[in-house]
Order: sequence, then C-alpha cells, then structure tokens
Amino acid sequence: MSYAYLFKYIIIGDTGVGKSCLLLQFTDKRFQPVHDLTIGVEFGARMITIDGKQIKLQIWDTAGQEAFRSITRSYYRGAAGALLVYDITRRETFNHLTTWLEDARQHSNSNMVIMLIGNKSDLESRREVKKEEGEAFAREHGLVFMETSARTAANVEEAFINTAKEIYEKIQEGVFDINNEANGIKIGQQHSPTNPSLPGSGNQAGSASSGCC
Amino acid sequence: MSIFKARVQEFENTLAKDEIDLKALRQLCSNGVPDVNSLRPLCWKLLLGYLGPKKESWSSTLAKKRSLYRHFIEDLVLPPGLKENGDKDILCDHPLNEGPDSAWNTFFNDNEFLLQIDKDVRRLCPDISFFQQPTEYPCDIVVNSKGERRLHQRVVPSVLKSANVERKGLGVTKINLINKRSEETYKAMDEGQEAHWEVVQRILFLYAKLNPGQGYVQGMNEIVGPIYYVMASDPDPEYREHAEADCFYCFTALMAEIRDFFIKTLDDSEGGIKNMMKRLSEMLKERDLEVYERLKAQELYPQYYSFRWISLILSQEFPLPDVVRIWDSVLADEKRFDFLLYICCAMILIQRDQILQNDFACNVKLLQNYPPLDINIVLTKAASLR
Repeated sequence: MSYAYLFKYIIIGDTGVGKSCLLLQFTDKRFQPVHDLTIGVEFGARMITIDGKQIKLQIWDTAGQEAFRSITRSYYRGAAGALLVYDITRRETFNHLTTWLEDARQHSNSNMVIMLIGNKSDLESRREVKKEEGEAFAREHGLVFMETSARTAANVEEAFINTAKEIYEKIQEGVFDINNEANGIKIGQQHSPTNPSLPGSGNQAGSASSGCC
Repeated sequence: MSIFKARVQEFENTLAKDEIDLKALRQLCSNGVPDVNSLRPLCWKLLLGYLGPKKESWSSTLAKKRSLYRHFIEDLVLPPGLKENGDKDILCDHPLNEGPDSAWNTFFNDNEFLLQIDKDVRRLCPDISFFQQPTEYPCDIVVNSKGERRLHQRVVPSVLKSANVERKGLGVTKINLINKRSEETYKAMDEGQEAHWEVVQRILFLYAKLNPGQGYVQGMNEIVGPIYYVMASDPDPEYREHAEADCFYCFTALMAEIRDFFIKTLDDSEGGIKNMMKRLSEMLKERDLEVYERLKAQELYPQYYSFRWISLILSQEFPLPDVVRIWDSVLADEKRFDFLLYICCAMILIQRDQILQNDFACNVKLLQNYPPLDINIVLTKAASLR
C-alpha cells in the first residue's frame, strides 16, 4: 500500500512495563497477558490517516533490560518518534525515566517527538504513581503525556496517533528536514508531486509487492 | 520402525562402553537423539561435559555435584536477614543497615535481580503448561520453610486491600471490596509443593549469585528452559529427582560457552554477538548473493532478526520439541556454534522466494516471526551447507 509519509518510532522503557503489549494492541488489536520477553528488538507496522493523508508507522519495540542497551541504542538514530513507557503500578519504572530520557536525547536526533506513557491504567487498585506525577514530569521535560492500558486498549490508538500528529505538525512547520532519512521520516509516492522536496526514486514506497501490513 | 530401532541400538551400543567415544557420540547426536529411555538427557550431560567419558566416574561425579548444589541452596537461598554463614547477627544488623557486611543489604541487592528473574520465569514457554505444573520432587528445605526460602515470596508485590464505602440512607453502609488482582497462571504452590517455574527461578538465582560478574541477563531463562525440560522429563526417576542440580551444571557449562553473548562489553569481541551476526551475514553473501543484496538494499540488517536467533540458540523461534531437536545438533557440534550459524543461514535461504518478493516491513516480520515448518527441512538444509 502506498503512503504519503513513513514515520519510524521506537518504544523504550524498563522491562515489563508493557511495551510489546502496547505495540501488539496497536498493530493487531489484541492483548496477550503472558508475552515472550523481548530480546533485542521487535518490529510492527500499521497505516494511519492524518489530515487525509496515509501515514505508515514503522515501530521498533526494544528490550528493556540494561544488558541490551548497546544494541537498542542504535535504533534511536533514525527515529522520528519515541514512546517512553513506565508502569503506573511500579514506582521504580517511573524513577528510571530520567535515565531513559537522557539516553534517548543523547542518541536520537534533536527533533524526535517523545510521548510519555503511563501504562496499565486498568490496574487502578495497584497504582503507585499518580497521574499528576506523570503530567508534572512530562511538563518539566517538554513531553506529551498520556495514561494507557494495553489490556483494555484505552488510549492506545491515541498514544500512537497523537505522536504522529506532533511529527506531522513539525513537518508542516518545517522543523524536520524530511530529505534526511536520519530523521526517521520518508516521503512516499502518494505524496503530492507539487511538493518540491519529493526525493528521487530509490525508496521502498509503493514497490510493486503487496504487503502484509 | 526398524530403522528407528537400529538408531536406538547404535546409541545404546555407544553408551554401553566403559569409556564413551565422544566423537562417535557427537556424530550420532547431530542427527537427533531418539526420544526413548534416558538417551537425550544422558547425551546432553555428556556433550556439555557435565559427565566425563569414563563411565566409572559418573556416580561419584553426580553424587559430588548434587551434594554441592544442595549446599548452594542451603547457603544462598536464605530467609531475610540471615547471613550466608547461617548466623543471625541481631544486635548489629537490621534492615536499614547499608554496610557491606549487612546480610540485609545483600538481601535487598539480591532482590533487585530476583524481581527480574521472577517476571521472566513466569513467562517461560507460555504455550505449554509444563512449567506451571508442580514438580514431583520439590526441594524440601525450600517448600517446608513456611515460605521463608521461597524466592518469589520475597518479591511478591504486597497490596493492601482497599474498599469502597457507600452510604445508603440511614445507617446502611455497603462495603465493596476491590479485588482486581489479575489472574495468574504461574501460581505459587502450597506449602510442600512447588511448580517447575519455581525450580527454574532458583537455578537462575543461584547462577547469578555464583557468577556476580555476569549476574542475570534476560534470555538466560530461555536458555535454561529447554535443558530443564529435558532433565525433568527423564524417564528414569532417579535422574528426574536430581533434575534441578543436573540442570544447573549443564546450564552453567553451556553459559560458559555462550557467556560472551550476554556481556555487553564483549558485544564486539570475537565470540561476541556482533561478530556472530557478521559471520552469518558473510555466510549468506557467499551462499546466495541475490538474497543478501536484497536484504542489504532494504537496509534490513542482520541484527533485526539474528540477534535473538543466535543469542538464544533459536529457543524462541520454534516450539519446544523442535528446539530440543535443534539443540541435539547444536550441542553435538564440536566447534559449538558453527552449526548454529548454518541453521540460521538455512532459515533465510528457505524463505528466499518470499524475501525477494516482500517489502521491508514484510521481510522483517517474516524473519522475526519465523513461519512454522517441519524442522527437519531446516536441519537438512543446514547440513547441506556445511
């Protein structure tokens, strides 16, 4: 399927916060309570529409454990958006956000849009981190914030789509250099040909093969 | 059937000798170990060097190692606040003591990686129920300790019960207890019992305690899983009873060979994971330039799929019985992980038509979620590449 833009995302955060479950809920609309743990990176893709334009999201889901950090770091480069996830029922996953953020800022391009996500909002009775704390952290560090539940699907669509909207707005404002693929954005063939920044051939957009995604 | 019987006979003949010819055994195992008697668990013990080739040494090795393992449990799997030499220094030590000698300090530090192990063993092979079942041979000092030596008890989240109080009219009060704990299939067992996943948890905990330079890294649970499954399914009850200890040593032996995959600073070293991925990539280039070029043009780098294939010895790519069969060949490989790379290469080559047709996203998905197929096709292909 052809698209106007392709955005690359990365999902980061401590192990067990529900990164893979968020991705699965977004791409497959299902919840898997016992998920294999992620070793290295996993991949998911989905098409969304913003402002009447087809946008393809390519999402890299990373392993949370420290030991894999040197492998996952290389994925920051070339990501236009990041979902930074913590678990509202485990305070320590919230406490580690600063480290994650530093890591992300150091290894990504400076325009990367970061969405802060407090996941497992369905487990209200076990909540350890208040929603206000998440909001305050996001405000302080200039992030977008949202609480989600990969189990009930609450806010999952919104989290991925709002991030895409932010990126899209930044493109419109000319903040992103869309010809530089290191920014995690590619222009597809569906894009209006009047756009002067349309790159030459050579990207994968609209390649003849039909897709599974 | 007679071919099968003949194969079993070959194994039995090889294993009947006073001194096992390891070369001959490797040869046999590389084509798969028949699923009869105690053949597989015994062969794995030999291939991993837990048992030596001299048969007369077996009973003393096993007795020594198993008793040592028992000591590890007694000394390292402790109730809170107890020193590793068994003393309880009540006067000077307390939970807020942060001194390096404080037993409490050790206890809290251990709990950090234990929490990780706990999460991971509870998601071991979720598609089969084996690890959730009780073991026939629970470790007595642990299961009869009123929970004090149960590792997962230490890291269980304690939740205070909360309730909604509703007042309705005069003096009528309704209290709704909120009980929303998610349903756990990897349940803890009652006093006197334990599930297989609890045993695996203890093995990983002890390994991390005894190898502090490495500790616990996610994925080790996937490595210990198949070994434990093979040992704990041994038809011989005497072996089955000691599955935990035997598995611990076999796992330790295997980790000694693949530890470089699990140490971040060694990622770039010769035995490190990056070099292994590079070798796979070069192998593919040599065998099928077209596929290699296609993946390269799509910027589909080997680390997108082969990182997990190699570091976990394919344990997450196939169902457990297939994994066990693959490991027969991998463990039988004298240059241990060369054959693993041939298998990985075969997996790519088998999908060549798909790969040449698919776009980037479909190819990543194809390689990250390898489609189910007869494992013998993969292994035959791999053998033909050698």
